[in-house]
Amino acid sequence: MALDRYEWLGRLAGRIPDDALVMSTYIGAVSFEWAHHTEEHHRSAHLGQMGNVIGLALGLALALPHRKVVCLDGDGSVLMELGQLVAMGEQQPGNLVVFVVDNGVYESIGWSSRGRRPTATAGQVDLAAIAAGCGVPYTVDVTAEEELDAEMDLAFSRDVCSFINVRTRPGHSHVRPRRTDGIEDKYRFVRYVERLEGIWITGVPPQDIALMKGRDR
Amino acid sequence: MTAAALDAAHDGLRAAGIDFVSGLPDGWQRPLHERVELDPDIRYVPVCNEGVGFSICSGAWLGGKKPALIMENSGIRVASEYIARISLGTGVPVTLLCSYRGDVGETEHWGIPHGIVAEPLLQALRIKYLIVRHVEDLAKSIVRAKRIAEAQLHPAAVLVSGDCVWED
Repeated sequence: MALDRYEWLGRLAGRIPDDALVMSTYIGAVSFEWAHHTEEHHRSAHLGQMGNVIGLALGLALALPHRKVVCLDGDGSVLMELGQLVAMGEQQPGNLVVFVVDNGVYESIGWSSRGRRPTATAGQVDLAAIAAGCGVPYTVDVTAEEELDAEMDLAFSRDVCSFINVRTRPGHSHVRPRRTDGIEDKYRFVRYVERLEGIWITGVPPQDIALMKGRDR
Repeated sequence: MTAAALDAAHDGLRAAGIDFVSGLPDGWQRPLHERVELDPDIRYVPVCNEGVGFSICSGAWLGGKKPALIMENSGIRVASEYIARISLGTGVPVTLLCSYRGDVGETEHWGIPHGIVAEPLLQALRIKYLIVRHVEDLAKSIVRAKRIAEAQLHPAAVLVSGDCVWED
């Protein structure tokens, strides 16, 4: 029996370590439900779009190897750019955990009386098997409720590059949509990371640095 | 790639403060990938697809790195989907260092389409670029591209022509 996405995301939100960072999708049902469960906490970057969420998370994980990075992606997005799994399997950052909400349909484009448009995972495609074939050290295809809590606990209790595909039922909750765009989402996340890590991410012109040094003298 | 061009490109990356490089090697810049991979101050992430490389560079920037993507100009086409989604939609600076296949002087027929598409595509993506045809301009062009990428929070590119890569 496939799982309920909204309910699962709520349980995942409750397990995310306080000092972790999250790369999530930008728009669509997963993004809206994740934002609802996390009250749009700035540790989550709602910046990923079709085909680039894992790539963004991988870059973030490689930049901050001491920091747990959680990626939330959907099956349609992963399928759009399978080359991301090749890079993930080659780099294998131990601080990266990818969760895929795999409901087998393109949920966010809507549906008709003929039902929802299926993704390839509704057929023969097994994303966890593809990730394993790319060299990702730990992969699992979760289909049962009782497995899921154990897999989440395992993912957050060790440093192993992991790909956790979660088979969920199609269907929407009715949380409100997010209202921010990518620019605002970026600044929220960047300023959070700057405070968390004690670094500057956006640049400062060299002449301004020179000016401040002059004032300090 | 001549020894002078290789040194200039590597020097330019270091002078620009680039500490994270992703890319897909091509015939012209292969020695640069080999050099960067051995640089202890640069995290090198090879990819099999320039679009994935752009996404990885963007994620690295969000984590505080100063990224560059090294590729043939054909890779701009591949990466354009993610450049549009990430940089036009969000504003993330990645320095692009591209071989300029199909520039005047090209000898390979397959390089011609790369030359036809590269500049119009960069313009469509609102990416400022410098074309380098003299090796003495290469290092400073990389530094300048990275500077404006950071100032505008959007990619900037350096196109390295064959005149710079080969000895006549």
